[in-house]
Amino acid sequence: MQISIDLIAGLLSFLFTLMILSYIIGDNPFFRLAVYAFVGISAGYVAWIVLDLVLIDKLIRPLIQGSMAERLLLAIPMLLAVMLFMKISPRLEFAGRPVLAFLVGVGAAAAIYGALMGTIFPQVQASTNSFDTSGIAETGLKVEAIGRGFFILLGTISTLAYFQFGIRASSATSGKRGMVMQAVAFLGLVFFAITFGVLFAGVYSAAITALIDRVQSMVTFVASFFF
Amino acid sequence: MKLKGLFSTAIAVISGMIVLVGLFAPIALLPVISSLFLQWASILAGIAILIGIFSMFGTHLSKIRQRSKNSTYSFALLLFFLLTFFASALPQNTLLEGILLNNIMIPVEVSLMALLSVSLVYASARLLTHRTDLKSIIFIVTALVTLIGLTPWPVIGTLPIVSGLVQMLAAGGARGMLIGIALGTLLTGMRVIFGADRPYGGK
Repeated sequence: MQISIDLIAGLLSFLFTLMILSYIIGDNPFFRLAVYAFVGISAGYVAWIVLDLVLIDKLIRPLIQGSMAERLLLAIPMLLAVMLFMKISPRLEFAGRPVLAFLVGVGAAAAIYGALMGTIFPQVQASTNSFDTSGIAETGLKVEAIGRGFFILLGTISTLAYFQFGIRASSATSGKRGMVMQAVAFLGLVFFAITFGVLFAGVYSAAITALIDRVQSMVTFVASFFF
Repeated sequence: MKLKGLFSTAIAVISGMIVLVGLFAPIALLPVISSLFLQWASILAGIAILIGIFSMFGTHLSKIRQRSKNSTYSFALLLFFLLTFFASALPQNTLLEGILLNNIMIPVEVSLMALLSVSLVYASARLLTHRTDLKSIIFIVTALVTLIGLTPWPVIGTLPIVSGLVQMLAAGGARGMLIGIALGTLLTGMRVIFGADRPYGGK
């Protein structure tokens, strides 16, 4: 019994891998079938996870088992949830709009906090810290650290300058940026291309690793019938 | 602006302001209310996901009912959706859930990633033939140098100096991009909180 389940599991894995990799010769029904099945499985899994961890754990269970204060507090999201469900119906869609507005408002505030505390402040601090050589004793290593910090800072500033499309009032007729800004933006473009090149290489390495894994898995499955 | 539009805008502005002030300044009850609003928002976001899945289910069901051209694929989607949902919901179905997730979902995910290796080579070849400018050349050369630096070569092993040099230059660009994205997020968030942008439908 155990062997037959292993066989079915291995066969499914082999077939679905083959169906997806068949896209290399062009779009075909087997590839589409595998992708639709993948979407179905992912959606089914996400639906259950959301239902179990969010709806049941955070809403329904506390509403049944919680204290009176908890129940009163959860009555509001319960009402908002019902209103949000009304967005499915074109006639009652208007009832879901305030709930969507609440979600957007809270989401925007959380995004601002995340951008400031999670990216801008730490990244600016890291840029300044790269010039901190207090923990380095050797002069050569200090120069190396400062040089590294300088290149990173140059890259950061020029990349940001590349996205600066505003121009002075005096240049409004030509519509072009000043000479200095053009030079810095060009440098930013070079840093930009280098960054995307490194990212591309990283993604490509991961993709090659995935290809090796899948081919190896298929070979192992076929070989298991003979050895 | 219509009254109902004004009402939605007021809700977005007030809720956003309360959460933002509550996150930054511990004034009176604001952090507690802010945390409560975030908790409600996480519940509502979950429900929004369920509504999206429900809508997808309805679309594919109607395709099957109308026997439209690609209804076979819709049938496969719904079949695997229901199988996975009930296999996850019923605790005694761990074997079926394991097969669906470990022997279909993960192999398909990894295979799609593997397909990317072919697509990326094709895309880079097209880039060099269709747009041979400085930007494209720097991009391709950097990618090649990084790959050469990362690859373990016979006898000499990896070349950490090559990839290290390129990655130092890339760190500056990546930091610039991260700060740029964060500044964009900050600005968009501020526009929503001040009511200048109303993506929830208010005119």
